[in-house]
Amino acid sequence: MPVQDKPKSLLPFLSSPKLLPDESEAEFQSGLQSLLSELDNPSPLAVALVSQLNESLWWIKRHTKDKELLLHEAMARLLSKAGSNWMPSGNSALSVALEHYLDGSAHKDEAALIEQALTDGNLTLSDLRVRAFKDAARHIKMVDDLIHRQHQTIRHLQRGIDSIDYKSRLIKRMDLELAALESKQSVKGVLSLDDKPS
Amino acid sequence: MTISHRRSLANRCNALKSTGPKSVSGKRASSQNSLKHGLNSVPGFESSSEYRALVELIAEEGFSAFACADIAAGLLNYRRVMDAYYDTYTSPEPVDEFLRDANVRASNPIFRELLSPSGSEPQDVREMAAFFASMQRQERRKGGPVSRRSADSHKLIRYQRNGIARLSRAVRQG
Repeated sequence: MPVQDKPKSLLPFLSSPKLLPDESEAEFQSGLQSLLSELDNPSPLAVALVSQLNESLWWIKRHTKDKELLLHEAMARLLSKAGSNWMPSGNSALSVALEHYLDGSAHKDEAALIEQALTDGNLTLSDLRVRAFKDAARHIKMVDDLIHRQHQTIRHLQRGIDSIDYKSRLIKRMDLELAALESKQSVKGVLSLDDKPS
Repeated sequence: MTISHRRSLANRCNALKSTGPKSVSGKRASSQNSLKHGLNSVPGFESSSEYRALVELIAEEGFSAFACADIAAGLLNYRRVMDAYYDTYTSPEPVDEFLRDANVRASNPIFRELLSPSGSEPQDVREMAAFFASMQRQERRKGGPVSRRSADSHKLIRYQRNGIARLSRAVRQG
């Protein structure tokens, strides 16, 4: 059953996490369901917190992908600087060609363009990657900070969920103890009534 | 239609002569230019129907009235931050490809031609070229779209930290 359909859910009153156009809603929902399945009869508040936790995990995925994209961006920039591939129309064609070249889907022309640029710059692909890493270090550090922030957020949410779980168990235990005391008291009352001389 | 290099440079030179908005509506519009995400404004959750519904639902879990109010406000505030985070991430400052890739040195004759009707000296042309070169350096330092969205999102870290700390505290103390 989808989370939104559960009775007394807090989620309809909160804005839902948005996905990027190329992301899978099914994958996002299955992550949420697997997290919820780890909780034993979660309360609506716990479900709301788990939903935020799932979003944080999703952000970690996005930012991890961004780290690789940052490297590619820097590689394209270095290639256009190093070789004779400076194009008055911009180096976006080179970026696209490099992207295809790295994921192995480059056309003949694109591969030739990249190889020519590497030769012009007297570089190998691994050299280029190392230099790009150095070049993009500032931005990669920023993405690392963003990932770290999501880890911290997850830790906070985890503590919140634990405290709700502990609270509900505590309430249950106190209810049981109270019921036990009441039953003991009532037994005592019955006994003391019985002891009264008629 | 692509604007020619010459036309684009002329537009930018003319834009430098602008002294800002003159009309009342123009000034009102430009006063909102620096408004990026609105997270510095004080949210008025208490009057919203979502807030009241959340408070009622949380109260059923055995939290005190104060805790319910804190948790509901914390949740709404955290969502507000995360929505702004998403918006910032998905709409970074666009890359000015013209400025990034322009060959400033090769544009000197165009600057000269553009400035000559006003009787400009070579010094003016040099200053104009230096100005464009500095703008280009700034543009290149910002990097591509991924670098920009990372840098923009990075600015919202403190709002996230405060938002989640407030929510977590409200839940644990409730």
